Amino acid sequence: MLIFVLKRVAWAILTLLIASWIAFVLVHLSGSTPGGVALGQSATPEQVVAYNESIGWYDPWIQQYLAWVGQVLRGNLGTSLIDGRPIGPDIAKRLPVTAALAAGGTILSAVLGIVLGVVAAVRRGGVDRFITVLTGVMLSLPAFWVGILLVYVFAVQLRLLPATGFVPFEVSPEKWFKSLVLPVLTIAITSAGFIARQTRASMAEALAQEHIRTLRAVGTPSGRIIYVHALRSASLPILATVAVQFIVLFGGSVMIELLFALPGIGQAMQSAVGSADLPFVQALVLVATLVVVIVNVVLETLNRTLDPKLRTS
Amino acid sequence: MTVSTTSILTIRRSERKRAHRLFRSPTAVLALIWLIGLVVASLTSPLWLRYGPLEQDLTAVLQGPSVAHLLGTDELGRDLLSRIVTAAASTLAIGCIPPIVAVLITVPVTLWAVRSARAEATMNRVSEIVMSLPGTVIILAFIAAVGTNMPLVMTLLGVLLFGALYRIFFGQAKALQKQLFIEAAAVDGVRPTAASFRHVLPNMSTTVIVQFVLFFGVGIMMQAGLAFIGLGPQPPEPTWGGMIQTAARFIFQQPWMMVPTGAVLALTIIAANSLADVLSGGAATPPPLVALRRRKKKPAPDAEYVVAVAPAGAGASLPAEATVLFPVETVADLPEVVATLPADNIETSAPDLTGRTPARTAADGELIIDDLVLGVDGGPALVTGVSLRVQPGRVMGLVGESGCGKSVTSYAILGLLSPGLSVRSGSIRWGRADLAQADERTLAKVRGHDIAFISQEPARALDPMFTIGWQLGAAVKRLRRVGARDAKSIAGQLLEDVGIVDVPRVLGSYPHQISGGMAQRVAIALALAGSPRLLVADEPTTALDVTIQAEILALLRGLVASRGMSIILVTHDLGVVADLCDDVSVMYAGQIVETGTVRDVLVRPEHPYTMALLAADPHAILDFDGTSRLASIPGQVPLPGSWTTGCRFAQRCRFARDECLTAIPLLPRAEGDGGVRCVRRDEVRGRQEEWRRPVAIGGGDL
Repeated sequence: MLIFVLKRVAWAILTLLIASWIAFVLVHLSGSTPGGVALGQSATPEQVVAYNESIGWYDPWIQQYLAWVGQVLRGNLGTSLIDGRPIGPDIAKRLPVTAALAAGGTILSAVLGIVLGVVAAVRRGGVDRFITVLTGVMLSLPAFWVGILLVYVFAVQLRLLPATGFVPFEVSPEKWFKSLVLPVLTIAITSAGFIARQTRASMAEALAQEHIRTLRAVGTPSGRIIYVHALRSASLPILATVAVQFIVLFGGSVMIELLFALPGIGQAMQSAVGSADLPFVQALVLVATLVVVIVNVVLETLNRTLDPKLRTS
Repeated sequence: MTVSTTSILTIRRSERKRAHRLFRSPTAVLALIWLIGLVVASLTSPLWLRYGPLEQDLTAVLQGPSVAHLLGTDELGRDLLSRIVTAAASTLAIGCIPPIVAVLITVPVTLWAVRSARAEATMNRVSEIVMSLPGTVIILAFIAAVGTNMPLVMTLLGVLLFGALYRIFFGQAKALQKQLFIEAAAVDGVRPTAASFRHVLPNMSTTVIVQFVLFFGVGIMMQAGLAFIGLGPQPPEPTWGGMIQTAARFIFQQPWMMVPTGAVLALTIIAANSLADVLSGGAATPPPLVALRRRKKKPAPDAEYVVAVAPAGAGASLPAEATVLFPVETVADLPEVVATLPADNIETSAPDLTGRTPARTAADGELIIDDLVLGVDGGPALVTGVSLRVQPGRVMGLVGESGCGKSVTSYAILGLLSPGLSVRSGSIRWGRADLAQADERTLAKVRGHDIAFISQEPARALDPMFTIGWQLGAAVKRLRRVGARDAKSIAGQLLEDVGIVDVPRVLGSYPHQISGGMAQRVAIALALAGSPRLLVADEPTTALDVTIQAEILALLRGLVASRGMSIILVTHDLGVVADLCDDVSVMYAGQIVETGTVRDVLVRPEHPYTMALLAADPHAILDFDGTSRLASIPGQVPLPGSWTTGCRFAQRCRFARDECLTAIPLLPRAEGDGGVRCVRRDEVRGRQEEWRRPVAIGGGDL
């Protein structure tokens, strides 16, 4: 177990290094320079060069990269070129928003997807075909479009929920909840399809296993066979799909965050890219990779606990 | 099991099948029409559009659909139809970039990784890292660097998709590489590279195309998403995502705008995904092993029934006739055989000629299968008119080659048929219940409590996810209605009963941690959890080593002696029959061809098939004078659906004559109780030694 953990951690560090390297190279390949961005249109080329020199932009890449990594290791993610504020605290403020969105969306889509998938695998026939078509449409719909439709129905027409905006939990838990309902629902509708399809396939495979006949022969009720035994052996691939969904949402909720005006990581990424805020882009790539890596480690550990063959070997 | 040759043949035909599947599916045809139509409409748009995509009309902003503007206008009075159609061609073209790039990278890498272990290890690592990168964020960072150059951005998306694609391709390529024909190619001296291109790649083509189409959808979605957040092609150039973003801004003023803009995007992606679904053969999944619910029986089969006799049952041990139903047309000519057979004969069924026989109530602990017909729904029959009678405390062997219908018959007893198979007629009497027609509730009362089942492969018969103690405990709790603590001690006792020494360790083990013989003991303990009176054992020793086989047989023999249990033992091993059984029924091609006591059937076989089996049995060979040798039965068991009305064994029988082509009833044995299904019974009796000589198939008699 210890070797396993060490291996995973080494692996995670390697992935992070590669991501940081990609981020660094991309930023340095870009046409803009920190000086040009920070000083704006009005600055003369001399001022820009002077600014760039002051932060070591013309130093050898390897030196700059090591300097950056050294800074990050000391907990300093740099300062924004646009407003000059430190990036770290800004991201820390935004993380809970995206985390709530991704977690809520993942949980709801997992519940919806697993239910649909189990029903499709167990009932088969017409029900299965209907669910297959339904999930096919669900996973084809663009999330940002579904979001608009939901806004139109629940905010514009029914006036039940706010159309956009975010209220922090500390300010008002009720309003916080309301501001997340539509985004989370949007995610659930568009992500449940993948989970449902994976669940259906894994459940069907689980129900075709030889021990199902044994269970049936000792009089195990159908419900118990489906929900205790089959779902248990289907749980590993389903869990993997759910984890992938969470990862995709964490980095890819940009569209949802913009549509619903949620001040999360994705929104920050969009504005940083739009304004060429280079240190911010670098930092966000690193943070997003860190999340992916952590989720992967958690998933591996869960897999080991869920699968007796892995656990006992 | 080895790779079947049929799979090799079908793979070769994949291309034709693929085209066939595509054009026969209305969904796929519609999807193709939509995609091709969009491209054609877009490319020819200057010829037929009334407004240019950038043509503003500030007198007609934010309009709904009208004759002038079929899909309405945007906030600058630009025609939405024009903008949507104009944007289509470039969107679809750029959408092809990610799949092209991903496939171009992944296919060569996969073919390389499949051939060398070192390459495999490296590429697995690389793909894992690529998959661990946050795709959307990397793409956004890339846009920060190179700007909103869509072809370039989509190329990066293709590179990032490599991780996922490699997993899929590699899994399949590895399986293909292992297949027989690749190995054969290697033996033939084809160079590995050539083999990969000639054999692996063509057979992966369906997967490649399916993934291509799926990633095309991903490419379209990503373009729209980027345009939606303002990081796609910059205005005023029309983009689908950009138009949806505009629609979102004006949702309060003109909600209509989101309909055409979103629908065209959604429909395009739905089209791509449905194409992929159809191409991959619709997400085909294996059917469940056991039907989880029973379909309602169609009411009257084909004959009307009248209530004939109804004398209230007398003694418990007598087959008490409670309410007996006779089919109207057969009441008159009830088969004589029934009358002539001794009362406690194993075989009481009517011959196939006359059809149905009277149903009856089985005595306590007795199982009576009567004229059971099983078949594939909408397909051939698998078992035709099997009748068996298992008395309390007796062991009935059911023997025959593979494919004779033995296992299916044993599954039917507890309603454990796979979906798609069903009982067509006949009855399985247990007490007052007819298990062939019983509903789930009745079966649930019988399963485990009265009749238990153990299956062929002990290693796979137990749920790998739970400990043995947990599984056994759960069954005991339910079947004996006891608490968790009692269940645990009973479970331990059961394991001791089946001869397990280290009970606490086994209770805490998972099925993969114990040996096959141990697993079979556990499976038997599980079957005993509800103290059943009848055990149906489907080839319980086939998958085990010979030494373990003997132990399991001894265990079963002990159970019969100590618990007075009866057993139906399905096997192809006559040695096992001789060892354990009291009675035996020999099955051939869905029929019982000979029944009787073990001594009668094995020592004085009357059916040529039984003789042939005995001659072919490796245990039974007694080579005292060095002349006899192990015989083989020429030919194969005829497949269900190809059975003739005459003797089904005739094709392979050395004694067959023309008279064997007529329908043959199960006649009483010449010696002893039981029946035999052979018209030449009296001529062939006692000639089993002849089966040890090579045979001229199909009637080389004398």
